[in-house]
Amino acid sequence: MKKKTISGKKLFIYLILTAIFSVAVLSVAVVYFRIYTAEVSDDSYNRTFSRYYAMITDDYKSSFWQSVYGGALEEALEDGVFVELFGSNLTYNYSPEELMEMAISAHVDGILVSGNGREEMTELIGRAAEQGIPVVTMYSDNEDSDRCSFVGVNGYTIGSEYGKQAVRAREELLRLAEAAGDDAWTGRDKRVTSVAVLFDDSGFAYDQNVILSGIVDAMSKEMRNAEFEIRSVTVDSTNPFSVEESIHSVFMEEQVPDIFVCLSELDTTVVYQAVVDFNMVGKVKILGYYDSEKILDAISRNVVFSSLTVNAEELGKIGVNALVEYNEYGNTSQYVTADLVIIDRSNVAEYMKKVEEDEE
Amino acid sequence: MKNKIKSIPLSIKISGIFIMANFFSLVVIVVLLLGINSLSRRMEESYQDNLHLNEAIEALDNLQRAMTEYLNSKSTDSLSDYYSREQAFSSTVENLNELITDRTPDRMERNIKYMSEDYLQRVAETIEAKRGRNIEKYRTSYEETNRQYEYIKAYMRSLNEERFAENSVRYTALARNFRRFQYVAMSVMIVVLVGSAFIITGLTGTIIDPLRQLARTADEVSNANFDVEIPVSTGTDEVGRLNTAFRKMLISIREYIDRLRTSMENEQIMQKRELMMETHLKDAQLKYLQAQINPHFLFNTLNAGAQLAMMEGADRTYEYVQTVADFFRYNVKKLDAPVTIEEEVNLVDAYISILNVRFSGDIHYDRQVDKRLLNVKMPGMILQPIVENAVNHGIREMGDQGHIDLQVYKDGDRVYISVKDNGKGMTPEDIEKVVGCRWESDAEKGDGGGIAMDNVISRLRLYAGREDVVEIRSEGEGKGTEVIINFSLHEEGADGE
Repeated sequence: MKKKTISGKKLFIYLILTAIFSVAVLSVAVVYFRIYTAEVSDDSYNRTFSRYYAMITDDYKSSFWQSVYGGALEEALEDGVFVELFGSNLTYNYSPEELMEMAISAHVDGILVSGNGREEMTELIGRAAEQGIPVVTMYSDNEDSDRCSFVGVNGYTIGSEYGKQAVRAREELLRLAEAAGDDAWTGRDKRVTSVAVLFDDSGFAYDQNVILSGIVDAMSKEMRNAEFEIRSVTVDSTNPFSVEESIHSVFMEEQVPDIFVCLSELDTTVVYQAVVDFNMVGKVKILGYYDSEKILDAISRNVVFSSLTVNAEELGKIGVNALVEYNEYGNTSQYVTADLVIIDRSNVAEYMKKVEEDEE
Repeated sequence: MKNKIKSIPLSIKISGIFIMANFFSLVVIVVLLLGINSLSRRMEESYQDNLHLNEAIEALDNLQRAMTEYLNSKSTDSLSDYYSREQAFSSTVENLNELITDRTPDRMERNIKYMSEDYLQRVAETIEAKRGRNIEKYRTSYEETNRQYEYIKAYMRSLNEERFAENSVRYTALARNFRRFQYVAMSVMIVVLVGSAFIITGLTGTIIDPLRQLARTADEVSNANFDVEIPVSTGTDEVGRLNTAFRKMLISIREYIDRLRTSMENEQIMQKRELMMETHLKDAQLKYLQAQINPHFLFNTLNAGAQLAMMEGADRTYEYVQTVADFFRYNVKKLDAPVTIEEEVNLVDAYISILNVRFSGDIHYDRQVDKRLLNVKMPGMILQPIVENAVNHGIREMGDQGHIDLQVYKDGDRVYISVKDNGKGMTPEDIEKVVGCRWESDAEKGDGGGIAMDNVISRLRLYAGREDVVEIRSEGEGKGTEVIINFSLHEEGADGE
């Protein structure tokens, strides 16, 4: 008779299988649960900072100030400092002065503010200094305040750059007129070139006279025989739509200026739009401000002649550096200049590429 | 370990499996429930921040109101109300975060904290100014606090919105996870269900398997197949014991059947022998009766002839007829029971003397008989057919040259009877045929009359219960034949007498 042992081994295998199965099912369930709850629980911070700076501008949404902020933040993070575009998280839009008040009350470690020359701001800067909060004005200044430093561009330099561009723009206008056989320009140098400089009425950064004299000096130097006429146009910027209205009214005049000098991003785009609307492309030259995508596009299409811009990121970096320096050594340079950049058809492609890269 | 498992009683094993499966399902369900519970708790907590913030806003409102109230009325009640409100708000503020982190809400909280501290200080100053009746100061101070109050409130609301947006995202993610987790839980339950079904089936299978094998074996046994293999169970549980018992039972049954079969076979052999003996005897008788039609009548007739011959004084005729009558009488009466050697020898004498009268004394007949053996029993009608064969096939055509020698002697406890002739002799093949009872019947060849040799040999063999009862010797053609039969002195019992 053949001997056969009854399934003791099988039973054993089954028990082991059961154990493995149980452990496997439970661990899969637990791991799954962990993974999915971990995915959600990401609500704690990654990094803390020793200092906290507030950056205050009147228009934090503009791409210029966003670039400035980008540069500032980048620089600050390297120094273990956090810069906040103050007020950008608040539901209401507060004026720079109100934001200043808040920042002082919140005991920030430093304030970067776009100066506006207003007395109220000067006073607030003084209050901050009183409380030991260093303030750096950027782009435009409150000269009489207790700010520890100003980072920006000299108004005269801006003016003379615009003046040089205006001369180049006039030359191109002449060439075009000759090519088209335009009678109005046949008198050539005798024809008076009219230049309109658009100023914000919101107490603009630079002294208008400084800029104007910069333009006049540059133009007189460059074209001795020709006559030109410069007038400043005050743009009403009290509400979002008034800018466009003010500029439109200039175009409605009998004699539309040959060259527009725009000192802000908004002015540039509005003039550009007006030139297109009034079908004056080629007849009017725009000297714009800033390097937004729209303006770059306009330059490449030859609607805007050239654009002047401050290296925004650099401006932000310099501002933060000034604050850091002040915090650490108790002193810093009173005045730091940022670079001016002229963008025209010759280098617009480079900037457009940069914009595209940034978007990516 | 294995043996321990095997010796656990069946009931405990089976209930153990079920308890284990249930316990396993329970553990899985508990784990899943814990997961669901923690998820839902987190969902509940999602908007906790907003609630806290709302409380903070309320505390701020209350403080501002209490301060205004005091400034208005300067009553003791309002002052104490102010103190309690101030206490409430500052304790709320204390709990706020003051770290500068990369998360916007954290920083907003920090700003709120500092602004609130500033505000609290300013409020205290305002109250102090009011108490000191410094009208100028408390008015400007009040305006300032009012502004700060607005800022803080705006900040708190913004933070609330920020938090709400963040929490909504988290809540949505949690809710999605919750749903997903439900599916996972369901799948896990199904897997567990299927898994435990498999495991239970497998485990009960391993326990039931021996029982099933046993049942199969029992089925076969009930179909009279006793040669099945019985699995040897090493277990000592109920099945193991049942198996062992069944195995022992089957072995005993097998042994019993074997014994029964052997004894039945023996009996059958004996019955068969008796039956054959009888058959052969009947056959001999029949043959004899066919040969000698009504021997009684013949015998009586011959007796009458013998008496007539005596009365007429013809002695030799009388003697002859008497011999013939004796010969037939023997045939009539001595067939069914063993006879003595003497009777057989006498019959041969009578046969030879009848033949000698018939053939004028042609046959030379000699006999050497050990007188001590005359009373030994042997089957009847053996010697005469052998002699008749010797005459018919051996010496018939030799005229007066034929010799028949009959010898009866003993060697040990064996009796030998030899019938020897000097006739034609036999070939070894013929001898083989005759001894093997394969010689074709004389009756069919047409020279019948006597009892055939195969009948004689068969009866001898049956009587002795042995095969080697007859030996035929012949040295070849023309050299005669010797037939020697032998049987034991005490062999007469073998026929079942």
